[in-house]
Amino acid sequence: MTDTMLEGLKDRISKSAKIHQSVGIIVPMNNYADLSEAIIDHMMNTKDDFWVYITITKSFDTIIKKFKSLSDHKNIKFIDCISRAAGIVRSDNNCIYVESPAMLEKILMEMINILHEIKDDLNKYIIIDSLSSLMIYNNPETVNEFFQHFINKTRAEDVHSISLVVEEEMDEYINRIIFLNEKIIKVRESFI
Amino acid sequence: MAESEVVGKDKEKCTTGIEELDIQMNGGIPVGSTVLITGSSGSGKTTLCMQYLADGAKKGERGVFFTITEPLFKLTKNLEGFAFYDKKLVESGMVNLIDLRIISERLGLDAEKYTVEDASALLDILKDIAEELDVKRLVIDSITALCYRLQTREMIRDFIFKLGTSLAAMKCTTLLTSEVPPRTFKYSQYEIEEFISDGIIFLGDVERKGDLIRTLQVVKMRGTSHNRSKFAMSISSKRGIELLPLLKS
Repeated sequence: MTDTMLEGLKDRISKSAKIHQSVGIIVPMNNYADLSEAIIDHMMNTKDDFWVYITITKSFDTIIKKFKSLSDHKNIKFIDCISRAAGIVRSDNNCIYVESPAMLEKILMEMINILHEIKDDLNKYIIIDSLSSLMIYNNPETVNEFFQHFINKTRAEDVHSISLVVEEEMDEYINRIIFLNEKIIKVRESFI
Repeated sequence: MAESEVVGKDKEKCTTGIEELDIQMNGGIPVGSTVLITGSSGSGKTTLCMQYLADGAKKGERGVFFTITEPLFKLTKNLEGFAFYDKKLVESGMVNLIDLRIISERLGLDAEKYTVEDASALLDILKDIAEELDVKRLVIDSITALCYRLQTREMIRDFIFKLGTSLAAMKCTTLLTSEVPPRTFKYSQYEIEEFISDGIIFLGDVERKGDLIRTLQVVKMRGTSHNRSKFAMSISSKRGIELLPLLKS
């Protein structure tokens, strides 16, 4: 993806997430890495927002290698659901590790605990990267139920959410789940 | 909560220190109840009991923890990792940790086998200590290990009923831990313990894709309305025990 495209996309996602409580983003596999990095880059450039990034796709270790100053950002917290299961041991104040991506209740618990510690005057956002990855480790019905809880909880706490889905991995189950979001953005190469 | 689950008028409650659990029991355990905390090894029974005692101590309610399963130094070492535990609670006498094996030794009892008289003497001592310390919260960890030292089923039955009577007279809220083998739907080893209990909290686990998820379920709680759903349970050093509804799919 070109930088111009990414900037345009970041802007669109940012505006959508501000207006809508929950945004689902369907992104082609080829653009997935660019998009997730663009979102992290965007997070690092906001001061009045608080971000919780739930990663099931890349380990926090991999992410921080690319974004070295992430640990310095007090307004960003990661919930890494894959490192422990993969035997990666790292400790960082900005990251909470969940033992396994199948421990969906634990993900919700950690998310709720982080939200309760955030100052009320900040805008709160949660990103799930990604629903497609969650599907790998769980039954579709369980992910569906998890996402229903997730959406209800974020609404109750007045938190905005962004959920990513890989277009090529869309099936009837993910379709059903992603459309629980208020707004869907489909990323195309010809977006701009 | 379903109306049918409400049994009588709600009584004064004793909080557990686990916010979600108290909510599910409509404020906590009815004061004066005896509750069986059942689960297999490593299910979080001792942690739950200590969180309960620490919560009470912080609210000015003195508590006592009688252990027969592990030495006190080991118990306190494990507790030091938890944010809810403060050494000062023990030093100030708000939480009293007592090793029943040491008491047995001082009473000259056989550490491995108790006679009817031994069991009775031990019961009296438990009662005296609780009364002397004026405790509002009492824990016995575990009732299974205590009964293991009794030689016949009749003795166990008799001891448990006497214990039930003594606890009821003490007016303090008691947690008895009960060890059961993993993945069983038994609430106790001897299947008598539940009959002297006003409540049963079952700690178990469910397997999901090869991962064991800790669970907690309030099976029975006399004197209060309560939720009987299964909850996912997490134990962390920062927050102790936390609960969230278990996904049903």
